[in-house]
Amino acid sequence: MKGKSVKKFLSAVLVGTMTASLLAGCGGSSGSDGGSDDSGSSKSGKEASDSGVDLSGVEGIADIGYEGDPIELSFWYLQTRQEGTDVLTEVFNKANPNINVTVSYYDTDGIKDACKTAAQSGSMPSMWFNWGGALGQYYVDNGVTYDLTAYGEENGWGDLYTSGAMNLVTLGGQVSGIPTSYNVIGVYYRTDLFEQYNLEVPTTIEEFESVCAALKENGITPMDAAGLNGWHVMRWIEQFIEYEAGADTHDQLQSLSTSWDCDAVKKGLERYEKYCEEGYFPDGFITANPDDTYMAFGMGTAAMDIQGQWYDSVLQNNEVTLDNVSWFPFPNETGRMSAFVEMNQFNKDLSDEELEAAIAYTNFLFSNEAAKIYPTYYNLPLPRTDADPVDPAVNPNVQDMLDTSSENGTFTITDQAFPTEVADVLFNNQDAIANGETTPADAAAAIQKAIESYQSK
Amino acid sequence: MKENKTAPYLFMLPALIIYLSVIIFPVFYSLWISFQSGTGIGSMEFVGLKNYAQLIHDEVFWMSFRHTIIWIVLTVLVTTTVSLMLAVLMNQKFRGRTFFRAFFYFPSVISAIAVAIIWRWIYNPQIGFINQFAKMLGLDFTQTWISTPNTALIALFIAALWQAIGQPMILFLAGLGGISPDVLEAASIDGANGVQTFFHITIPLMKDTFIMVISTLLIAAMKVYDIVKGLTDGGPNNATQVLASYMYNQVFQYNNVGYGTAIAIIMVLMMLLVIIPYMSFTAKKE
Amino acid sequence: MEGKAKKHAKSTLRYLVLIILAVLWIVPIVTLFLTAIKAKSDFISGLGLFEIPERLAWENFANAMTQGRLFLYMKNDLIICLLKVPLGIFISSMAAFALTRTKLKHATAWFVFLLLGMMLPMQIALVPISIIYNKLGLINTYFGLFYIYIGFGVSFMILIMHGFMKGIDFAIDEAAYIDGANKWQNFFHIILPICKPAIATLFITDFLSTWNEYLLASVIINDNKLKTVPVGLMTFVGEHGTDYGYLCAGVLISVIPVMAVYLIFQRYFVEGMAGAVK
Repeated sequence: MKGKSVKKFLSAVLVGTMTASLLAGCGGSSGSDGGSDDSGSSKSGKEASDSGVDLSGVEGIADIGYEGDPIELSFWYLQTRQEGTDVLTEVFNKANPNINVTVSYYDTDGIKDACKTAAQSGSMPSMWFNWGGALGQYYVDNGVTYDLTAYGEENGWGDLYTSGAMNLVTLGGQVSGIPTSYNVIGVYYRTDLFEQYNLEVPTTIEEFESVCAALKENGITPMDAAGLNGWHVMRWIEQFIEYEAGADTHDQLQSLSTSWDCDAVKKGLERYEKYCEEGYFPDGFITANPDDTYMAFGMGTAAMDIQGQWYDSVLQNNEVTLDNVSWFPFPNETGRMSAFVEMNQFNKDLSDEELEAAIAYTNFLFSNEAAKIYPTYYNLPLPRTDADPVDPAVNPNVQDMLDTSSENGTFTITDQAFPTEVADVLFNNQDAIANGETTPADAAAAIQKAIESYQSK
Repeated sequence: MKENKTAPYLFMLPALIIYLSVIIFPVFYSLWISFQSGTGIGSMEFVGLKNYAQLIHDEVFWMSFRHTIIWIVLTVLVTTTVSLMLAVLMNQKFRGRTFFRAFFYFPSVISAIAVAIIWRWIYNPQIGFINQFAKMLGLDFTQTWISTPNTALIALFIAALWQAIGQPMILFLAGLGGISPDVLEAASIDGANGVQTFFHITIPLMKDTFIMVISTLLIAAMKVYDIVKGLTDGGPNNATQVLASYMYNQVFQYNNVGYGTAIAIIMVLMMLLVIIPYMSFTAKKE
Repeated sequence: MEGKAKKHAKSTLRYLVLIILAVLWIVPIVTLFLTAIKAKSDFISGLGLFEIPERLAWENFANAMTQGRLFLYMKNDLIICLLKVPLGIFISSMAAFALTRTKLKHATAWFVFLLLGMMLPMQIALVPISIIYNKLGLINTYFGLFYIYIGFGVSFMILIMHGFMKGIDFAIDEAAYIDGANKWQNFFHIILPICKPAIATLFITDFLSTWNEYLLASVIINDNKLKTVPVGLMTFVGEHGTDYGYLCAGVLISVIPVMAVYLIFQRYFVEGMAGAVK
C-alpha cells in the first residue's frame, strides 16, 4: 500500500521533471544561442555569422598588436547592448589571442547594485560601465578607480575625446574614465500639433507659456512628464531653475557651492507648481513610468517631451514616425542644455599591460567602425573628436542638438550633479509640490538641508 | 546506545551548516556593521549607537515605519479575511472547484515585476481599467489612484492583495479540511445555522490555522519590498515608502551602509516582537 | 422539496459570488494577456488597454523565446529549481526528523532557533555573502546561488515538515526499530514516504519562490548564459523604454512550468499544508 503511493508520488515527480526537461530541450534547439556551451563566448561568433553582419570594418582595427603574457579582463556592461557587444568582443578576442575579455551584462539598476556590492567586497571587474556625476564619483572617492589623469595627458586625450565629455568624466580632480557617450537634452515636440494650432517654436519663456496654454485649451497635454524615479520631471525643473538663476548661479547650484535655499530655486519651483496647477502635465504624472512617455507623444495626446538626442532612435524603435517630430532648446534665456556622460571606469589594481589592453578594448568597442555596425547600441554620436556624424536622414535631430549644445553651452544634469540621497529629496519635493503637500519655499529649504546633511557626513 | 546520542545531530547537521552560514552569520555581521558609519568600502568607523540615535530624528524612517505598520494591519485584517472567505467557498463541493482553486492561486505565480507593470496600467489615469470602466458607465472622472498620497498606499495594497491571496487560501483550505464533518453536522442538528456554526465552531477549531496564516502573512508584510519597488518606488513623496525599501535605498543608493543596516536590525527586532509570542505558543504545544 | 429549492438557491448564490470574484480577479490577467498580443504600433495608436488589436501579435511569444532568450533563462531556472528544491526538502526533512522523532535534547529550542530565518529580509545577507563568495569563487555558479536559496528556505521547510511529521503515529517508528531498521532506514524508507503531501506542498511553494527570486539572482549571477527567468525578464525592460508586448508574452510563458508544477502536485497541496496548521 505504502510502496504503491510512493511510486505514484515518484511518478508525479518524474512527470514534472520530464516536462521540465522537455521545456529545456526545446530551449536548446530553438534558440541560436543553444545555451549548451559553457565556453564563454563561442556563441557570439555563431550569432554573427547567422545574422550575416559584415564585420570586415572592425576586424581590421581589432588587432592591437599585444604579444605579452596572456591577459584576462572582465567588463560589466548594460544588458540592452549585449547583442552587439558579444559579437565585437569575440572579434577583439580573436584578433588578440593573448587577451581575453569576458563581458557580464546587467540591467540598468542591476549594474548599480552589482558594482556597489562588488566594491564593498573588493571584487570589482577590470572595467565597468558607469554614469558620470555622483554615480561615478563614488568609486573615485573610495579609491576603486584607476586615476587616468597622467595616462590621458601622455596620450593626448584632450584631442581625442570631446571637451564636454572630458569635463564630465573628470571627477574629484581626476580623469576617472573614458567617455563612451555624451548626451544633451532638449524639448522634442510634435510639429503637426504645432501647425494645427498655429503655434510657433517658443524662444522666450513667455512664448513657451502661451504655447502651453493654447495646447491645453485644445485638450492636448502640453508637457509630457513621468515622475516615477523622479528624473524625468527633474529635466523640466532644472530648465526652470536655469532660466531664473542664469548660467553662473546655476553652475554654482549644481556644484553645491551656493545655497539651494535661494530665490532662483524658489521661483523655478514656483513655475513648476504653477504648471502643475494649470494642468500642463498629464494627470497623475508623478507615478507614471518615464519609459512610457513616448506613448502619449506618439499618439499626439501630448505635444512636448523633454529628452536627449537618443530619443530619435527610441521613437523609431517604437514605430513613431519622426516626420512630425522636431526639437528646440528649452527657452531658458541662456540657451544652455542639460548634459551627461556615460563612461568606462577601470580598476585601480590593473597592471600597466592590463590597463593598456582594457583601454584598447574600450576604444575598439566605441570606435566609429564598431558603432557603424550596431548603431542602435550606442547613444550616437560617439564623444570623440573624430566621431562620424550621425546621418540626418535617419536621425534628423541628433547632430543639430549636439551642435546647438556646443554653441550654447551645457550644464551638468541635476541627478549627476547631486549625490543620490540629495536627488531623492528633490524628487520627493517634486511630488509634494504637485500634490500640494509643500510649497516651493519649503521645498527649496528642504533640498538645502539635505545638501548640508550630506556634506556634514 | 552511543549511536543514538549523535544520530539526531547528524540529521540536523546539513541544515544547520547552511543555516548558520547563510542566515546567522550575516545577521551578526550586519549587527556589527550597524554600529559603524562609512560607505562600506575600507574606511568604516565604529560609531556605537549613533546610527540608531539618528534614526529617531529621521522623518522618512518614521514614515516608512508607519507605512509598514499600516501594511501589516491591512494584511492581517484584509488578506486574512478575503483568503478565508475564498477558502470557505473553495471548500464546498461543486463543479469546477479545481479550476477555481488554480484560478485564484494563479496570481501568486507571477513575478513581482510583472505584477507591478500590470497594476500600473490598471491605475493609469488615461488608459487604466478603473477609469475606462467608469467612463463606460458614463462617469467622467480621472482619479489618479497611485499618485495621490491618501490613496497610494491602499492602491498599492490592493495590487499586493491580488497576488498574496493564494498561499493563505491554501492554508485555510487545509485547516477547513481538518475539521471533522461530524462536528459540523452535530451543530446543524442542534439547530445552529451556517453563520453561527462558522463563527462558533469552525473558527475556534481553526485556531492553529489562524496562527500559522497570520504569522506567515505578518512576516511577509514586514518584509514587503518587490511590489513597492516596482509599482511606486516608495513615491509619491515617500507616501508608500516602507522599511525594506528605505533600508535598500540607504544601503544601495545612498551608500549609508551602517545606517541602512541599522534599519534592517530594527526590522529584525520588530519581527522578534511578533515571532516570540508565536514561538512560545508553538513551544508550549510541544 | 423545500430543501431542494433551498439547496438550489444556495448553489446559484455560490456561483454568483464566484463569478463576481472571478471577474475582479481576472482583470489583471486579461490585461497581461491583451498586452502580450499587442504589437508596438498598438501602444501609440490610441488603442485602449482593454481593446483587442486588429492584428494579434502572436510573434511576441516566439520572439520572447528566441530573440529574448527566454528558453535559455527558463532552462537555467529549471536547473536551479530542480537542484535546490529537492535538496532543500531533503535536508529540511532530515532536520525535522531529528526534531520530532529522535531524542534530540532541547528539541524545542532548536526548532525555534531554526525558525528565526523566516523573518530576515534577504537584503541583509547581500554584502556579507558577496564578500565570502568572492573569496571562495562562488560568484556565477549555480551552487553559490542555490546554497543561499536553501539557507533562506530551510526555516519554512522545517516548519512544514515538523508540523507534518509530528502528526505521524510513533507506533510506526517503534515497529520499524523492532524490525531492525536503524534511524536512517526509518527516516528514508518509512517516514519520508509518509510525508509526501507535505513534500508536494513544499515542492510547489518552494519551486515558486525559487523560480521568481530576483534580488540574489541578479547579484550572484552575472554571466548572461547562466541567468534565471526574473533576471532575464528584466532584459525586456530597456534603458530608454520597455517592450511591453515581449515582456508580457515572456511573463505568460514563464509561468507555464510553475503552473505545471502546481497542477501536478495540487491534489497533495492542501493535505500537505495541513501539517503546518495542525
